[in-house]
Amino acid sequence: MKRSKRFEKLEQMPINKDGFSYEWEEVGLITMESRFDPKPSIKVENGVIVEMDGIKREDFDSLDKFIADYGIKVENAEKAMAMDSLEIARMLVDINVPREEITEICMSCTAAKLAEIVSHLNVVEMMMAQMKMRARKTPANQAHATNLDDNPVLIAADAAEEGARGFAEVETTCALARYAPFNAIALMIGGQAGRAGVLNQCSMEEATELELGMRGFTSYAETLSVYGTEQVLIDGGDTAYSKAFLASAYASRGIKIRYTSGTGSEVLMGDAEGKSALYLEIRCLMLTKACGVQGIQNGSINAIPLMAALPNGFRAITAENLIASMLNIEVAAGNDTAFTHSDFRRGAKLVMTMMPGTDYISSGYGGIPNLDNVFAGSNEDCDDYDDYYTLQRDMQVDGGLNPIKEETAIEVRNKAARAMQAVFEGLGLPEITDEEVEAATYAYCYKDMPARNKVEDMKAATEMMEKGTTVIDIIKILHEAGFEDVAENLMNQMKQRVIGDYLHTSAVFDENYNVISAVNDRNDYMGPGTGYRISEDRWNVLKEKFSALKPQEI
Amino acid sequence: MAKLDAVKDYPVYEKHPELIKTPTGKPVEEITMEAILKGEVTADDCKIAPETLELQAQIQESFGNPQVAANFRRAAEMTRIPDERILEIYNCMRPHVSTKEELLAIAEELEEKYDAKINAALVREAAEVYENRGMLKKF
Repeated sequence: MKRSKRFEKLEQMPINKDGFSYEWEEVGLITMESRFDPKPSIKVENGVIVEMDGIKREDFDSLDKFIADYGIKVENAEKAMAMDSLEIARMLVDINVPREEITEICMSCTAAKLAEIVSHLNVVEMMMAQMKMRARKTPANQAHATNLDDNPVLIAADAAEEGARGFAEVETTCALARYAPFNAIALMIGGQAGRAGVLNQCSMEEATELELGMRGFTSYAETLSVYGTEQVLIDGGDTAYSKAFLASAYASRGIKIRYTSGTGSEVLMGDAEGKSALYLEIRCLMLTKACGVQGIQNGSINAIPLMAALPNGFRAITAENLIASMLNIEVAAGNDTAFTHSDFRRGAKLVMTMMPGTDYISSGYGGIPNLDNVFAGSNEDCDDYDDYYTLQRDMQVDGGLNPIKEETAIEVRNKAARAMQAVFEGLGLPEITDEEVEAATYAYCYKDMPARNKVEDMKAATEMMEKGTTVIDIIKILHEAGFEDVAENLMNQMKQRVIGDYLHTSAVFDENYNVISAVNDRNDYMGPGTGYRISEDRWNVLKEKFSALKPQEI
Repeated sequence: MAKLDAVKDYPVYEKHPELIKTPTGKPVEEITMEAILKGEVTADDCKIAPETLELQAQIQESFGNPQVAANFRRAAEMTRIPDERILEIYNCMRPHVSTKEELLAIAEELEEKYDAKINAALVREAAEVYENRGMLKKF
């Protein structure tokens, strides 16, 4: 065939480097609305659910049982299940129906019922519903801070810059697991050097992550993965019962947590029981509810390359974020994994949570270059800051970030790096040189950092844990080394653990460590003039574009 | 005392600072930089007390989340269990790790040693379910 020059050019476009696939319904390779998904049903006898979505109690697997016994408000279940799903879908976009009325209904529904409700919505209706249903009135955002070398000085500097840019939470992980204690304390110190009140987590294997929290090196945890089939949950090394126990273990140490799940993970792990990705994700959300965990990180997460390859992928992902909110669960909404070569497409993905606002618009905006992202990249990174700010300015939408000047970034990065230098010296860890401090202050990526002796670092990190070092030791060192404000911020973070007000749904802190959660910042959206509105002060921050013309001055 | 209410009594520390103490019985205001530097406040002071978790459970109950309240009540019991033992018990509850007898022994330990009745019931239920679903230790 003689080729069309336009088709030849199209083939070269970034979008055509992405992978695409049709569905295979029988194995569960479908985003939502599969012919093989269970139909909604419930039977209650003496306050016990004896049938759920067509399965009789005697045939329940461990996950069915846990959800039926703990995840559904049984008192109203038969009434809620008898309502017309289309009617409930319309309530979601009806400005006259308050959020609480809908959460009460949804918390009494089965997974198949919730799937049926959202199947009536198109994406714009889902976004409208998300604006009303997210738990916390004020939206926020979360950042990744990692690098390929696990350089702790660079992590601290990056976390500080992220704090200054307004992220409510920062998250790190490791390329090499033995670096975890250093990465965790780097993130903690850096975050507090950037802005008081930033929450910090180090994503590791379950037991390690809990131990870091117990030492006071992290203030929340998120990487507690749940899956929507019994077999995949077991393959992930857990059961509903072990996960529930783990959740309470964190709360018993005053540490906030959320679970992690996402459409597509079960079929990727090879056992979707022939059900759609969204149906199984709803089971994850109901397990989260059943375990009494206040929040979820979802939005396909690591499985997004698969979900985005299938028809209706973004709609299903928008639906999973929305259903979490419908169950009164905090949502850290994904947008945290690289999945496309197309800037057009990743921008479109982002706006689906950025425009309505979620509790955290991204559960990992890369505040670092993509090449340094030890998670699977992110949908947005440090090269995109000005695009993000401009979208906030163009649309008068609050994406949770604020523009900062270059000198501010340099100042907080330098402070964080120097604080790390002092802490390493105080704890007797391998030296952080002045050259490293300087490099971290101005770095773009790990390549700009002098190499550290990794073997020595990992050995020292292990010894630090064996010695029983806690955040209290770090607070003392920082104070004595002249970083009184960072020490004070860390102390205030420790106080919050004693208090427990931030264990609640969607809780974050402002820079004075005042807690802002779904309990005291309830989303009261009921149409124009209600819900979250950008104040004049906030708008002055959001519209800042340092390079923009001031026409009066010309 | 009446149960705390999500609208009236939250944030609990702001509304009722006198209700919150460290597990060592200190008021929160005693956690100061001076006290930390003198060694008067240690990591043990910077933990949540079971009484505080009960108050926070009441907040979630009136916020419409009875499951989160139940989680906080399990947590209140767990404040009595040392870090290391919590990690060990968690590992024992993972699939195919323990026999039924081992899980039942943990339930008894939770009840007898730590007065953790809710957690003991959870582990007993797990033992039952694991047996029915083939999730116990495989020999």
